[in-house]
Amino acid sequence: MKQILAIFTKDARRFWPEILVSLALLGALVTVYPSQWRVTHDPPVRAFGRFLGSDSPLGFLAGCLIVLVPISWWILVARVIHGERLVGDTQFWLTRPYEWPKFLAAKLLVLAVFLYAPFFAAQSVLLGEAGFHPFSYLPGLFYNLLLVTGVLVLPLVAFSTVTTGFGRMTLVLLGVILFIAGMALLNSVLPSGTNGSVPGPFGDYLALLILALGCGAVVVVQFAMRIVGLSWLILLAVASILSAIVFIDPDQALMDRIYRSQRLDSQSPVPVSFEASTSRHSTTNRTKDKGELEIAVPVLASGVADGHAAVPVAFKASLEAAGGLRWESLWQVVYNERYFPGISDSTMSFRIRQAVYDRFKSKAVTLHLTFAVDEVKLVATRSMPLSTSEFFVSGFGVCTPQSPWFKRAPEITGITCRSAMRQPQLTYVTVNWTDADCSVADSEKVLGSAWAGSLETDPAEFGITSVWETPLSLSNNWGTYHEGETPYLRHICPGSPVTFSTYDRVERTQVELTIQNFRLPDLAIGDVFLLQMK
Amino acid sequence: MMTSAIQTLSLSRSFGRTVALDHVSLQVPEGAIYALVSANGAGKTTLIKVLMNIFHPSHGTALVLGIDSRKVVGKAFNRIGYVSENQQMPDWMTVGDMLAYYRNFYPEWDRALEQELVRQFDLPLNRKLRHLSRGVRMKAAFASSLAYRPSLIVLDEPFSGLDPLVRDELIEGLIERAPETTIFLSSHDLAEIESFSSHVGFLEQGHLLFSEELTRLTGRFRDITVTLLGPSSLPTSPPPAWLQVEAADAVIRFVHSDFNGAATPAELAAFFPSAHDISADAMSLRSIFLSIAKSGRIRDSSSSHLLSNAKGPKA
Repeated sequence: MKQILAIFTKDARRFWPEILVSLALLGALVTVYPSQWRVTHDPPVRAFGRFLGSDSPLGFLAGCLIVLVPISWWILVARVIHGERLVGDTQFWLTRPYEWPKFLAAKLLVLAVFLYAPFFAAQSVLLGEAGFHPFSYLPGLFYNLLLVTGVLVLPLVAFSTVTTGFGRMTLVLLGVILFIAGMALLNSVLPSGTNGSVPGPFGDYLALLILALGCGAVVVVQFAMRIVGLSWLILLAVASILSAIVFIDPDQALMDRIYRSQRLDSQSPVPVSFEASTSRHSTTNRTKDKGELEIAVPVLASGVADGHAAVPVAFKASLEAAGGLRWESLWQVVYNERYFPGISDSTMSFRIRQAVYDRFKSKAVTLHLTFAVDEVKLVATRSMPLSTSEFFVSGFGVCTPQSPWFKRAPEITGITCRSAMRQPQLTYVTVNWTDADCSVADSEKVLGSAWAGSLETDPAEFGITSVWETPLSLSNNWGTYHEGETPYLRHICPGSPVTFSTYDRVERTQVELTIQNFRLPDLAIGDVFLLQMK
Repeated sequence: MMTSAIQTLSLSRSFGRTVALDHVSLQVPEGAIYALVSANGAGKTTLIKVLMNIFHPSHGTALVLGIDSRKVVGKAFNRIGYVSENQQMPDWMTVGDMLAYYRNFYPEWDRALEQELVRQFDLPLNRKLRHLSRGVRMKAAFASSLAYRPSLIVLDEPFSGLDPLVRDELIEGLIERAPETTIFLSSHDLAEIESFSSHVGFLEQGHLLFSEELTRLTGRFRDITVTLLGPSSLPTSPPPAWLQVEAADAVIRFVHSDFNGAATPAELAAFFPSAHDISADAMSLRSIFLSIAKSGRIRDSSSSHLLSNAKGPKA
C-alpha cells in the first residue's frame, strides 16, 4: 500500500495541471450543459446559437465541452502512464523495486480519483439538474462507467503503454482514426448484401468485450513484462477482429435464434399480407454499391391486437423459381416502422446482386419474406395538459415545450424531452395541433404523433453526459398551404392534452409472408435512361 | 566456498542480426569490485542491461544474487543499486523529493546513511534534478542507490564525462561501501578503475577475452625488451603469448601475456641465446588494455591464446 500511495502522490503532484484542466472542463460541462434546458425565448441570442449550429450559444459551448472532456482525459491518461513509460530501456524506475501489481494499481488509483470519481459526480449532478434523483439511477451510472472504461479509457491506457510519449501516442491515435475511416469507407463501397447492421445486441457486446479484453491484456503484458512486440500484436489482432465483426455482422447469424419462428398452433400477432393494389408497385433501384440493386416490396400489416403494437426490426427475402433456382438475402434492416391495430402499409426493401437479379428477372418466382418482429404491449398511458414550462412524465423523462427561434412571440411548435442515462422506453406520443389562435375556442385540431425511445433494456447508453435529449418528431407539424402561400408551422396550445403511451416488449417472433408468381420489377426508368445515355 | 554475486553462462544477446554479446561466461565473486572494460560499443551496457532484466538474453543464462536475470524484478531490486550514465532521472523532482520518494520503496533504507551521503556529496536538497550539473546529478543517483545498503551495486560508465573532483568523490563514496557490497562497474577509463578494482574483465565486440583478478592480470603481463649483441630480426614463429612483437636494430620488444617470474626469464634466455640483456617491466592496466586492443586487430593467433588464458577470478 505504501508503494501505491507513493506513486499516486507523486503523480498527483506532478500532473496537477493536467488534472486541474480535466476537472475544470468537467466542471464547466456540469455548469453549462443544463443551461441549454432553460433556453429563454430571445430571438437574437437563439439566432446566434443557430449560427453556431445549436439552439443557443450555451448549447454550442456544451457541445464543445462534450468533445473537450474526453480530450482532457486522453491527455491525463497519456501523461500519467508516460510518467513511468513502459517502452524503452533508460527509465529511472526500471531498476527500482516497483512491483507491477502495485505499480498498475497506483496508476488506476490516479484515474479512479481524478477521472472516474469526478465523472461519476458530474453525471450525478447532471441527473439532479435534469430533475432525476441520482440514487435511482446508480446501476445506470455504474454501467456507463463500465462503457466509458471499455470504449474510451482502457484503449487510451493500452495505447499509452505501448508508446514512448504523447507525440507518438497522438500519431498512433491518428492512425487508428484513419484505420476506422478506411474500414467505414471500405464497408460502404463493398457490396454488403444488406442495408445496415441488424439490431441484435451480440455484435456490439462482442466488439466491446474484445476491445476491453484486448486492451486489458495489453495493459497487463506491458506492466508485468514490457513485451512491446507482443502488445502490438494483440492490438493488431483486436483491430482485425473488430474489422471482421463490422464486415461479418455476427448478429445476422443469430437472428433466427433471437427471433423464433411461430408455432403453427399460435396466433401470429402481425399477420402480414401483400398489397395487390395497382396504386403501389414493387420497384427496383440501383444502390451506391456497385453491382447491387434494391427491390422495394409494398406490404400491408394487419391483425395487431388491441393494446399492442408490432415493431418489425428486420426481414429477409428468398426467391424460388422453376428448375430449383433459389436465392436468399441476408437480414435487411427495417427502419422506423411500427404497426398498430388496424391496417398499416409500408415498404420493405432488400438488396440483391445484379447477377442474381438478371437470373430471376424473366421468371415468375415465389417471393418469401420472413420478418423479425418485436411484439410490444401497452404498459402505461399518461395524459396531461401541455404546460408552458417543463413538465415531468413518469417513466419517460422531463419534457419542455419548444418554440421556433425566428418567432417573436413564444409559440409551442414542438416538444423536447430529456431522460436519464439512456433513451426512454419505447413510447408513442400524441398531441393536438392547431392552425388557429389558441384563444379561439373549439378550433380544428390535427393529430400529431411521434414514436420515441427504444426497446433496449440496458441500464445506460455510452455517454459523456448522463442526460439524453429526445426531440419528439411529431407528425403533421407543417400546416396545409396552397401554391403561392408561405409554409407555416402548426402549434400546440397550452393546456391541450399530450399523451404518452409506453410499450414494453412481450415477444420476439418471426412472421412469414409468401407471394406466389412474383415478378422482379424492372430497373427504375431514371437509371435505364441514364444507362442508355451512356 | 566463495559464492558469486553475478554469474553468466554462455550469455548472448542479439539485436536483429547484430550480436552484442556472444557467449559470455563470467563470475563476479561476492565482495569484489569488478571492472568490465572495453572500447565503446563492445557490449558492456548490453551485458549490464541483461543483468538488470532490462533486456532478456537471447541465449544462455545470467544469475544476479542467485536470481535468474529474467526474474530480477520488484523486490529483487531492494538488494541492487544501479547507476548509469544514460539512465533518466525524475527530473521534475528536487533531490530531496527524489530521496523521499525512493524511501517508500526500500524497507532497508537507512535515513542516517542518506543524510551522511547528502553531506558527503554536498547535495542541494531543494534543487530540481533538471537544474543540476551532470556531476551533481550523478552524485544524487549514487546517494539514492547507496542509502539502502544494497548487496550489489551495478554501475554503467559512472564516471564518464565527470570532472576529476567529482570522480574522486564518487570513488571515495564507493570504496567506503565496498566491504559490505559487491560492485560491478563498466568503464573505458582504465586509470581510474586500476586504483580500486579487485577484478577486471575485458570485453571486445561481444566476446569476453579474459576475466580475472587484477593482481593476477598485472602479474602475467610484462613489457619485455631483449637487447641483442648484433642487429635483430623478428622471430619467425613467436609463441602466441607474445603480443606486438617489434624489432629495431639490436632490440626486440614485445608484450608477454603469460609471464611467470620463475620460469619465463630462463625460457627467454633460451629463446634468445645471443641476448645481451633481457628486461621485463610491469605494465599498467592501460598499457595491458592497449596492447590487447591493438593485437586484437591481428587477432587470429593471439585471441585464441588470450581466451585460453581467461581464467575465473579468484578472490
